Amino acid sequence: MRHDFAFANPEDLARSARKEILKMTHNAKASHVGSALSVVDILSTIYFNLTPPVPDSFSLNERDIVILSKGHAAAALYSVLALQNYFPISWLEDYCKNGAQLGGHVTAKGVPGVELSTGSLGHGLPYGLGIALARKRNSLSGKVFVVISDGECDEGTTWESALIANQHKLDNLIVIIDRNRIQSLGSTEDTVKLEPLADKWEAFGWEVDSIDGHNCSQLQKAFSSQKSPKCIIANTTKGKGVDFMEDTVIWHYKSPSDLQLSEALSQIEKSKK
Amino acid sequence: MRDAFIQSLARQAELNPNLVLITGDLGYGVLDKFSQEFPNQFINAGINEQTMMGMAAGYASTGKKVFVYSIGNFSTLRCLEQIRNDVCLMNNPVVVVSVGAGYSYGSQGYSHHALEDIAVMRALPNMEVLVPADPIETGHITRYLSTSSKPAYLRLGKSNEAIYHESNFDFKPGKINELQSGNDGTILFSGSVGGIALEASRQLSHTGITVAVASVPFITSLDRDYLELASSKGPIVVVEEHSKRGGLSSAILEFASDENLTIKIGMIASEQNDLSLIGDQDYLREVNGISAETVIKRFKAFAAVQD
Repeated sequence: MRHDFAFANPEDLARSARKEILKMTHNAKASHVGSALSVVDILSTIYFNLTPPVPDSFSLNERDIVILSKGHAAAALYSVLALQNYFPISWLEDYCKNGAQLGGHVTAKGVPGVELSTGSLGHGLPYGLGIALARKRNSLSGKVFVVISDGECDEGTTWESALIANQHKLDNLIVIIDRNRIQSLGSTEDTVKLEPLADKWEAFGWEVDSIDGHNCSQLQKAFSSQKSPKCIIANTTKGKGVDFMEDTVIWHYKSPSDLQLSEALSQIEKSKK
Repeated sequence: MRDAFIQSLARQAELNPNLVLITGDLGYGVLDKFSQEFPNQFINAGINEQTMMGMAAGYASTGKKVFVYSIGNFSTLRCLEQIRNDVCLMNNPVVVVSVGAGYSYGSQGYSHHALEDIAVMRALPNMEVLVPADPIETGHITRYLSTSSKPAYLRLGKSNEAIYHESNFDFKPGKINELQSGNDGTILFSGSVGGIALEASRQLSHTGITVAVASVPFITSLDRDYLELASSKGPIVVVEEHSKRGGLSSAILEFASDENLTIKIGMIASEQNDLSLIGDQDYLREVNGISAETVIKRFKAFAAVQD
């Protein structure tokens, strides 16, 4: 069943997705709402501009591929996919329930638009690298977008992949780092220091753009050109859009109460220009 | 076995341009010819097993058949979660190949001994586990795997293994391959310990006990007909170069339970007594309890109980 939401721009898509994320995590009493609100503008911009743009062409060999490696932000991906008509919006209501299609970490089986089940960090980039390499070797077009968390830069596979992508000059691979500077127990810089992060990726031979990860035009521009593997450091705020969730560790774990949900939804509504 | 594997794979690569071999920077003198003949079907990923396996899964997801080659634990345990999540859960057609089964790398030490791999690979969903007995079975199984669309684990010995089959023997997926018939019991083995099984059978025949000897290359889809017939004849002693926990004998016990087969089973596998012991393959088999003598002892123990 198609519901044909038509969004004029990625900002509107992201705003609607934020509301869905809040409702889903409230309904299911599920966690990771902060991570989902952090990455949702990135996902909205990617899916708004995807080639081909409609889910009907999902089986095409040369379509753009999107992998959300930070699988705990599943609510963001599922909201964007539902709003872009990949599957019925009603699926979101059953998020995390017994026998539901959609669970707390990104799961590929039976969910249109999802390429890879994730949840254990550091898996998405090697997998995307494999797809990008296969396409490059077989002269197939289509970009591979891999969205990772900044905490994921702790994983060895991130840097191994960075080496290999450079070796094979994969100009069809884009990594977007959701740089909200908070990982599971605290700040990334207090845990395992990542800075200077851009310099590190550059030293590995990648083209690097450091941008505002909540600004869809900046994201769109960053996606539009590359001559080598590209790393976009998308500077974000965890919990973005709901003031009491922003930049806190606790909203990695909590789900909003009834009162918090209505306050959060009204803040999102008010952000409409 | 690794030569038989690569020769068979090269023939398949010629027939199927979608077949790709990825190595974790191993295979000096073994993979050279393949890499020269099929440069577009060969990747040396470097020394990064976890990323290599995830990459192999992604590569396979584009409609390719991918073989990933490394030594025992490097292509299995080192990248276990990538095999579990990216290969098995996603059901990508990746064949994980390990060389150096059991104590093949003998004096190189425990880091190079592969003794837990069958147990671990067998526990993974969607995973088919194959352990050829000789270079002939290796060739047939490599061809079989080249057209399979499922995740698989291929456990190879190393080099200079004995040959037990004629090259045109009746190979059938899922079948147990009998090398020798016998009426009083059966020795089942997987991998390159066939010599031990045959020697035990020879010595037993001198004491009036004739036992069949058969190789079991398909660990995850066992041959019910053969096992039923074998269990009706007498005890079955399983010989394998693997930990006793979770290998072929465990697989047969689980299968027997599920299928309501009454099997009298003896397990001859590595005792893993001293992990740091140095020595060649024959020596390490012997001191870890994998020998013709232990097989014979097991049969005699069964006979004593019967008396």
